[in-house]
Amino acid sequence: MKPTAFDYLAPGTVGEAVDALAAGAQVLAGGQSLLLEMHLQRVHPNLVADINHIPGLDALTVADGTLTVGALVRHKTFESPGAVPGPLGDLFGRAVANIAHPPIRARGTMVGSLAWAHPASEWCALAVALDAVVELRSTRGTREVPAGDYFLGPFRTAREPDELLTAVRYPLLAPDTGVAFTEHRRTGFSFAQVAVGAALTIRDGVITEARIGLANCADRPLRAHAAERALVGSGPSSPVFARAGETAAEQDAAPVPEPYADVDYRRHVIAVLVARTLREAAPV
Amino acid sequence: MVDRWLRREDERLLTGAGRFVADLRVPGCLDAVFVRSEVAHGVLREADCSAARETPGVAGAWSAADLPGLPPMPDTRQGEATREWPSLVKNRVRYPGEALAVVLGDDRYRAEDGAGRVLVRIDPLPAVVTAEEAAGDEVRLFDGLSNVALHGEAGQPIDDEVWERAAVVVESDYRQQLLMPSPMECRTILCVPEGDRLTVWSGHQAPHRLRSDLARLLGRPEKSIRVVVPDTGGAFGSKSAVFPEFIVVAWLAERLGRPVRWIEDRRESLLVATRGRGQDQHVRLAADADGRLVAYELTVEADVGAYPHLGVAFPMQTAWMATGPYTTPQVHATVRSVLTNTMMTYPYRGAGRPEATSPLERTMDVLARRLDLDPAELRRRNLIPPEQFPYRTPTGRVYDSGDHLAALDLALRTLDYDGWRAEQARRRADPGALPVGVGLSCYVERSGGERGSLHDYVGVEAGEDGGVVARCGASSSGQSHATVFPALVAETLGVDPARVRLVEGDTDELPGGVGSFGSRSAQIDGAGLQHAATLLIEEARERAARMWDLPVEETAWSDGAVHPVRGTAAMGLSELVKRTGPLRIDERYEADMAFPFGTHAAVVEVDPDLGTVRVLRLVAVDDCGRALDPAVVRGQAFGSVVQGLGQALYEGVPFGDDGVPVLGNGLLDYLLPTYAEIPPIELGETRTPTPRTPLGAKGAGESGCIGTPPAIVNAVADALRLDHPDRLQMPLTPDVVWRAAA
Ligand SMILES: Cc1cc2nc3c(=O)[nH]c(=O)nc-3n(C[C@H](O)[C@H](O)[C@H](O)COP(=O)(O)OP(=O)(O)OC[C@H]3O[C@@H](n4cnc5c(N)ncnc54)[C@H](O)[C@@H]3O)c2cc1C
Repeated sequence: MKPTAFDYLAPGTVGEAVDALAAGAQVLAGGQSLLLEMHLQRVHPNLVADINHIPGLDALTVADGTLTVGALVRHKTFESPGAVPGPLGDLFGRAVANIAHPPIRARGTMVGSLAWAHPASEWCALAVALDAVVELRSTRGTREVPAGDYFLGPFRTAREPDELLTAVRYPLLAPDTGVAFTEHRRTGFSFAQVAVGAALTIRDGVITEARIGLANCADRPLRAHAAERALVGSGPSSPVFARAGETAAEQDAAPVPEPYADVDYRRHVIAVLVARTLREAAPV
Repeated sequence: MVDRWLRREDERLLTGAGRFVADLRVPGCLDAVFVRSEVAHGVLREADCSAARETPGVAGAWSAADLPGLPPMPDTRQGEATREWPSLVKNRVRYPGEALAVVLGDDRYRAEDGAGRVLVRIDPLPAVVTAEEAAGDEVRLFDGLSNVALHGEAGQPIDDEVWERAAVVVESDYRQQLLMPSPMECRTILCVPEGDRLTVWSGHQAPHRLRSDLARLLGRPEKSIRVVVPDTGGAFGSKSAVFPEFIVVAWLAERLGRPVRWIEDRRESLLVATRGRGQDQHVRLAADADGRLVAYELTVEADVGAYPHLGVAFPMQTAWMATGPYTTPQVHATVRSVLTNTMMTYPYRGAGRPEATSPLERTMDVLARRLDLDPAELRRRNLIPPEQFPYRTPTGRVYDSGDHLAALDLALRTLDYDGWRAEQARRRADPGALPVGVGLSCYVERSGGERGSLHDYVGVEAGEDGGVVARCGASSSGQSHATVFPALVAETLGVDPARVRLVEGDTDELPGGVGSFGSRSAQIDGAGLQHAATLLIEEARERAARMWDLPVEETAWSDGAVHPVRGTAAMGLSELVKRTGPLRIDERYEADMAFPFGTHAAVVEVDPDLGTVRVLRLVAVDDCGRALDPAVVRGQAFGSVVQGLGQALYEGVPFGDDGVPVLGNGLLDYLLPTYAEIPPIELGETRTPTPRTPLGAKGAGESGCIGTPPAIVNAVADALRLDHPDRLQMPLTPDVVWRAAA
């Protein structure tokens, strides 16, 4: 399949980009989802605004305990140890290895994944778990939306069509946070059937903070609030983690059936994977 | 014997210098795009192309109603003319993706823009996509006709008494799922009319057959069509027929007097390329208390696609091969082919033999457990011993040669069978360890072809410049013919291989040709080329004898030259041709089918909580008789093992409730094994030449698709200690394994 005819624009500044969006353009970032969708003729933009030539959008900065990831930071950036400090960098490093294969990671962007909002996206699950905030710019100004309010459904977000997602911000994780990311999928390069990211803080043998992100466990990325509540205040142990897994599967998740993963199977995998991820984040 | 002949095609193909049909630039060529049905079954009310015709860059757009003379698909089955397969849907859609209209444009982009403007109205009908559903005839694909298109059998029915008296009887059901052959290059055709000639470029396995099909359909003499096969990116059986799209393209190119091409893309391919397998099977296997097989019964329900075609009779391959490599005295196989709302089922690498091997080998493992016998020992007690060849099976095959025990033993040694059994015992004693399983599969298959396709045309020609041209009716789609055949001819003639060049895949070069399918190229064309080279030597000696006024017996041949038996004055081929005129041998060579065999083994580790299967080790011991170039044979074995892995674990065609395959994301939905999935594979070989040709080569290259899947499934069943494996149906996706383990 070939894309239908479209016009192409390469804005040189964020201002030009948002003008183009106001004129109905669709953003081209890494192109690893957009171009596929255009070839499959599931999206038919009349105008494509290629943001790859805008200086500064590739910035990755840490300031005041906050990580800011610009719209052109590629997936593969997070493969380098030390690109992001502390446990957050460790968690990103564990997650990124699961995204597609190296050529796609070289082009695709973290922010593009958040804009695309595939229910199986690793980054989207981590964004909700880590209380990320997305920054949206349009000709009307700039606004910030917490990840928890941002994802509305499969490929649906709070972003208005004329808004450019310029960056995403994450609070850094405390140095003593334990992190893990596990994924279940059919082949090395396929999308996740279920993926789980976790960050645990344990003080004096008691879990004081828990963050669990679930990918492909519902029609949108989820934070497993019920499972987290079940953890906080308990000591880390296999039975506690197993119970948290069951809670995530039964109360947090709302699995959608797919070929080779019906609802029952997926719930079962969520329970197993959450427990395993927690054990890895806090070896007991 | 050489281990590796000079490779001819690698540099060109690996540096991007290959020339595939899509690379051919023909001025004024139009690209064809097909408007395809999004429903599986329905009544076509309208396919209005008028808006498409107005699209810039579109040269024309037509539905069946606009092309009254368009010929339908050739019906390869006698007496089924009432079930016509139109090249464009006339009034009834019978499979999803079936072509409703064609749009020709200056390029594919413009043609697709036009295709997007064809207005289609279809009233959907209920769709039937499994043989079981379709066989009931509640939904009929052809009004007034049953969906059941064929009943067949091999062997004699087995008396009830046999089952009643047997010490053990195992019964099981298996599904051989539909698979997509998935060559890297999808189907291609480029038709160039010039004067009264039509040149057809196509990535194809049987160019002469394509020529005669097109000649018949277009109503023109065969000689007026030339089919040329340039570089071809894989085929696996899926490029051996004529297709509706081919007919439309050739017909339009002829009518318009313009070059037209169709380059199938992946999305089309996943929807409308031929598919393989597609059988529901029931088996009964009886043995005595010592594990000697007494009787075997195989019942096949095949979903063969929406229209009668070669695929309808094709499951008979499975029936004929049902006996497998064992001395079972009574074997009976029955086949029912049922039309379903799917694209046609057609030969796919292995073609009928995987479907025969899998149910038997899986049932052998169940039997072994039932008898508390080691599965290797059970097989050893039943394999046909070498002295019994030629061996006539109860299902009508005559196996040429074999040493099945040698292959089994080599596979066990290569795998370190005893070592893995010890590891298995160790893990079973450790509650924290993931279980491992070991699976075996002994197979025998058929190569060369069936009656009517056991011959090919071959030629060897010596030139004045000292060069030799070898010609044959085979057609390479990635099997290294350009390496193997010239080297074989050179070896026979005793000349430098660099002097021999292969010409194939061009219907102007040979009076006829059968092509490359059914593992026949080395066995038939190779033996034929060796034979033709031998005849060329004889002819050279006769000419020299006349020239030198000697009896032929007084001449000899060595190192590419003829010389008197007494004396040293040798004359090379080029000199001989200069003196005596053109020297070319053309032959129609025929040989009987042969039966390659082997044993495959797998070790897997299963995570029962998630159902994931990790293949730790695969061993494939194959016997293809003489291996012309062992490196090429190993390449074929490796590739087919990986495709076998694909069937075992990953590949499948899920259908939605509407009967349309859920493959909208292409190869993200139809998962092929990639390098990340390939386990350590160890290949081994035994060599039992076929007595049916002087060359001794049997077919190679389909073995992995045949032997590997049941080895892997058996290993998973072994790891989980399943007594009844019915729930373990391929592909063994994690959800399937988890359910079976629960
Ligand atoms: C074979 C394959 C496997 C894959 N596997 C995975 C996987 O396992 N996990 C995973 O998460 N992803 C996977 N992907 C998707 C990949 O990660 C994409 O790169 C990612 O989803 C989108 O990022 P991108 O920069 O390529 O965005 P693009 O493709 O350029 O854009 C995607 C969408 O987001 C919009 N967009 C992009 N950036 C912005 C912005 N700054 N502001 C507003 N809108 C924007 C675009 O307009 C478009 O609609 C896979 C893709 C392929 C082809």
